[in-house]
Amino acid sequence: MIKKIPLSEAVGTRLAHDITEIRPGEFKGPAFTKGHLVCEADLCRLQRLGKNHLYVIELAEDEIHENEAAAILAEALAGEGVVWQNNPKEGRINLYAGRDGLLVVDVPALAAFNMVEEVMCATLHSYTLVKQGDLVAGTRAIPLIMKRAVIERAAAIARQHGAVLRVLPLRAARAGIVITGNEVFHGLIPDRFAPILEGKLARLGLESGGVSFAPDDPQLIAGAIRGHLQAGCSLILVTGGMSVDPDDVTRQGIREAGAQEIHYGAAVLPGAMFLCAYIGEVPVLGVPACALHHPVTVLDLVLPRVLAGERVGRRELAFMGHGGLCRHCPECHYPRCAFGK
Amino acid sequence: MFDELLAASAAAHGHLCPGQVVGVRLALLGLRLHGLAVPPTLAQLKDLIVYVEMDRCAGDAVAYVTGVRLGRRSLKFVDYGIMAATFVNLRTGRAYRILSTEESRDLAALYAPEETDKVRRQLIAYRRMPDSVLFRVQEVEVQLREVDLPGPTRAKAVCSACGQVVRDGREVRLNGRVLCRPCTGEAYFRRPREIAWPEMNWAPGPLPPLSLENLNPPRLTSASEDDHDQEDSLV
Repeated sequence: MIKKIPLSEAVGTRLAHDITEIRPGEFKGPAFTKGHLVCEADLCRLQRLGKNHLYVIELAEDEIHENEAAAILAEALAGEGVVWQNNPKEGRINLYAGRDGLLVVDVPALAAFNMVEEVMCATLHSYTLVKQGDLVAGTRAIPLIMKRAVIERAAAIARQHGAVLRVLPLRAARAGIVITGNEVFHGLIPDRFAPILEGKLARLGLESGGVSFAPDDPQLIAGAIRGHLQAGCSLILVTGGMSVDPDDVTRQGIREAGAQEIHYGAAVLPGAMFLCAYIGEVPVLGVPACALHHPVTVLDLVLPRVLAGERVGRRELAFMGHGGLCRHCPECHYPRCAFGK
Repeated sequence: MFDELLAASAAAHGHLCPGQVVGVRLALLGLRLHGLAVPPTLAQLKDLIVYVEMDRCAGDAVAYVTGVRLGRRSLKFVDYGIMAATFVNLRTGRAYRILSTEESRDLAALYAPEETDKVRRQLIAYRRMPDSVLFRVQEVEVQLREVDLPGPTRAKAVCSACGQVVRDGREVRLNGRVLCRPCTGEAYFRRPREIAWPEMNWAPGPLPPLSLENLNPPRLTSASEDDHDQEDSLV
């Protein structure tokens, strides 16, 4: 139960919730925190903050305070690799990445959670690469007090697949690169792919398994891929020969190397002619030529997900369509943009 | 087990639809909250009353899965137009009202994003959603009057206006008179007038030999003789 008392009667009572102060452009935060014992000296400041009344709360057995509610919600939302402290500020608890990795959000569960009246959680986009300590989400209960059953239902919804938020570590793969194409193989033009790909792999902390070159010959491409597999590579990137020209035989080479599951085409620009295949459990990613020209392409979307252990297939490549269009900004701010979200 | 129940419920209802999925799940949750078997044992069924608040597909599924029946007075229809049902356990006195959430309809697209047809999407999504998303549950108190319970007719009254017999306290007392509800003016029909109809003397004829057992399968004989009220009222 909430009772409203005039400020004049508030001396000696304890504040039922944090009281926020906003000085535009300068400060936003709690001027007083929950539990503060109101004394004469506080009255002027409270009045300046527009408070002429305060709440006194007497919780019924089935009711819960916003701070306790926020902790129950945070506990339910946070999965592996996500940390939080039970120290709500103005009723809100922040959730942080507990390690470097890929933030994965259970989007349907998050939506269902937020459909429960009186609770909220806002997150970064799913599949955002995060560093340890990054803020990934915030949650709170909306009213000051509410029914415990509502909070428990929201928590159950958050837990329907374990947890809404997870930060998955990227596995330490050894990545082999196969550069295909007659012109490069015969030295007619220099390769520019290998340094670009090695840079991307290094930024994700991957060990290089070396670069192989193959002409536009399915058997030789397959041989180069097998060579990497035999050398212990657990991820293979193949470039060139990925488009629709008659000389483009890379797909055939990947198939002859033993790939049984091949997904060609992604709903991403740049990167429509991307290929994702699997030889056993080893992902083989076919990188289209756009990666030579654009700093961020479909590869940057798929690579972290594959390294986080996701089996990327037709469905995942298709669902990237919404948000899969790069705006090619003069100055690239990826991943702080909508691309791939 | 779920798929078999759903298929059988859909067959009894006439088609498989999202309402069947929701209804079967709602019934399973109701039984689970009371710790009852699926389907309830005969003893459990005697203590179970279910109120359904909608005459929609889900209502049939609830009746099918639980085994409650209108004619056994274990199924009560209250015309609220709300996707909800209340499961009352007469033995424990506990009652749970389960409401199908409106937000589950909005969430179907997120739970089954690969499907664009609305009905198929709901069929898939309503299987994927956990109970916590699909339902809200209230513990409620249900005051059942003696005349609402299964079993023999508890009371009969005669309408002072038309002479109709009214069972189980459903008569209305108005200005000292006992009336059936149609005679108070609240009938769902109007202008009743007796008619004659073709072949008025049709009757199924005498009982064939040994047919009594067929008319009284074991499950229906548990009620007392007074339950067979139709014969009683014809006397």
